[in-house]
Amino acid sequence: MAIKFPSDKWIKELSERLNASEVYAQAAATWEGDNVFVILPDADYPDTTYLYINLQHGKASNARQLSSLDEQKALFTTSAPFNTWRRVLEGRLDPIQGMFSGKLKLVGSMAQVQRTPKATYEMVKVAVEIDTDFGA
Amino acid sequence: MNGYLGKILRVDLSQSKLWDEPLNEDYARNYVGGSGLAARYLYDLLDRNTDPLGPENPLFFLAGPLVGTSMTSAGRYSVCARSPLTGIWGEANSGGFFGSELRYAGYDGVLITGKAGQPVWLSIVEGQVALHKAGDLWGRDIYDTQTRLREVLGDPKVRVACIGLAGENLVKLAGIANDHGRFAARTGLGAVMGSKNLKAIAVGGTGKISLYAPEEFKTITNQILAMYKDDFPAQSLRAYGTAGYVNLSHMLGDLPIRYFQLGEHASADDLSGVDLAEKYLRRNTACHKCVIACGRETQSPAYHDSKVDGPEYEVIGALGSLLMIFDLEAVIHAGHLCNLYGMDIISMGVTIGLACDLFERGLLTPADTGGLEIRYGCAETVFRLIDLTAHREGFGAVLAEGNAALAERAGVPELSATVNRLEVPMHDPRAYLGMAVTYALSPRGACHMQGDMYSLDLGQSNIEEVGLEPGDRHDNTFEKGRTAARLQAWRNLYNSLILCQFENPGVQPLLAAINAATGWGLEAEDLITLGKRIVNIKRLLNFKLGLTRANDRLPDLLLKPLQEGGTAGYHPDMPTLLAGAYAEFGWDAESGQPLGDLHL
Repeated sequence: MAIKFPSDKWIKELSERLNASEVYAQAAATWEGDNVFVILPDADYPDTTYLYINLQHGKASNARQLSSLDEQKALFTTSAPFNTWRRVLEGRLDPIQGMFSGKLKLVGSMAQVQRTPKATYEMVKVAVEIDTDFGA
Repeated sequence: MNGYLGKILRVDLSQSKLWDEPLNEDYARNYVGGSGLAARYLYDLLDRNTDPLGPENPLFFLAGPLVGTSMTSAGRYSVCARSPLTGIWGEANSGGFFGSELRYAGYDGVLITGKAGQPVWLSIVEGQVALHKAGDLWGRDIYDTQTRLREVLGDPKVRVACIGLAGENLVKLAGIANDHGRFAARTGLGAVMGSKNLKAIAVGGTGKISLYAPEEFKTITNQILAMYKDDFPAQSLRAYGTAGYVNLSHMLGDLPIRYFQLGEHASADDLSGVDLAEKYLRRNTACHKCVIACGRETQSPAYHDSKVDGPEYEVIGALGSLLMIFDLEAVIHAGHLCNLYGMDIISMGVTIGLACDLFERGLLTPADTGGLEIRYGCAETVFRLIDLTAHREGFGAVLAEGNAALAERAGVPELSATVNRLEVPMHDPRAYLGMAVTYALSPRGACHMQGDMYSLDLGQSNIEEVGLEPGDRHDNTFEKGRTAARLQAWRNLYNSLILCQFENPGVQPLLAAINAATGWGLEAEDLITLGKRIVNIKRLLNFKLGLTRANDRLPDLLLKPLQEGGTAGYHPDMPTLLAGAYAEFGWDAESGQPLGDLHL
């Protein structure tokens, strides 16, 4: 059954799938940094939603929906309107292309992202595989 | 004429004559400036009999209508001539401040012919021009030469373009340096300068550039500057320089490894621009009015280099991964040697890469190399080969002729990594298939500055309004060919304005700036039309010099798919891609000739 995005259930599903992925574990072996995904309102989504996930050395933990950015400080914040996230999660927008074009706004340690781009790619690959319900 | 000084300095070195000539306004309106305008001038002056290293080969230094204005990163200049390395259109571009100072000194460009009877240098300061004896400069490296001329002129702000030992020795990989270690590196134009016994040009002044709508121009350029504050590519370039791309490039299969024959390597990430910044960076350096400051000044303690310009991404590829050297300090040092001698690092690295490959295949032996064992991964050998090449000593005299000549000498032209005899840069066309079109149709031979499909497909360029949108990098279609051609037109306009390709404010801001500077009243599509016209004049000139449609090809080496890495299994479908490009340019499908109103 499809899991609604964005939601607490969805980010927990991502966490489980990342922990089950050998490929992700290898690609993100040197990655250190938690991330808040900020889903901003647009024509198809009225709210701002915050999804938190801690990513350390190829493993995910503590994934949950936050009530606000103040609830949990994170090394990275990645923000985009709902439909941009949808394009990423449907595999229609390459995440690196999204960052370079400014469609995905990343705030955080640029060194980490530049040094281990494969970690980002593999995480998105896993996310794309989730059967996701984007609503109407 | 708004946006221009309206004046070219003519120099006949054989006669020691200097005179002013009005800028051809019709040419400027149709070909803009920089390499486009130079191509229009040289179309009238070059033919198949022009010896690239003879006195008759005109050497043209040109700025463009935005150079020296408040437009960000518009301090560039182009140098153009018939290339001694390739025999075709030669073009090299460089940043820094030389271009803007040339304009403040009172000129849009300097057109040099003839050959001086003895080494000379040229000064252009506050509209005063003079030739000087350069006997005491001959043999000096590029840094000493620049320092010495600033001392002689008593002005630390004077900017100098000069050659090093490689240019003096007519090494066909020689470039022209300015502003410490910035280079108009490609196509061997340093050797053209050397062939004329011209060691250096010093420029400086306080002149003003007349603009059509100065207040509007200032407002627009301030808005453009503000755009870079939160721009991800700009932030990345500021933090890690072009070297920041190394890890991503490796992941995507764009970083050439082991002479373009390996798709990935466990140690390639050791060449990371992040490590470079954290361990070896002294400071950032910037060009005229640039807020990005992607330039690197580094150090290499292991080799006792305390102040080195670079290395950029291209250097890390050409003197690092391509040669299986994964030690950043060794790469910094090798780059520094090339800088001192004034050599094109891409061409040097790719030529040494072929030597490594030939040696491994047994097609070169110590009997050919003066006893040298040329192996992948040996930094000390690379240092030695750079030194020998700059001096044209021993096997260095062979390397000084470039990669294509070495492949021919070894009887294996199919192993050459060149397009029309210019060495392929550090973007593998199997990683971004549009780059196959860029390289095959680039008017100066393989060149990433004629159309950066890797930037477009990464989402960096922000130019959807002229039909250029990021796409799938492995798209092997007619439409990809069209896109690559259109991007080539766009970047040829950049190389004529002349603007840094890291400055991508979008179509409307750029259009507004050009119109406010010149009063031309252009619309968005006019920018592509101008770019195509510039591509066409360079192509017509190359056809005049002997190229045909058959030259629109990639080397065999880059048509074979790799077995591993981010580009495994992919290779460009050249007939399909080229058909799209021809259609976009409006070239005849059979002959490849440009058609229609060419504004000659």
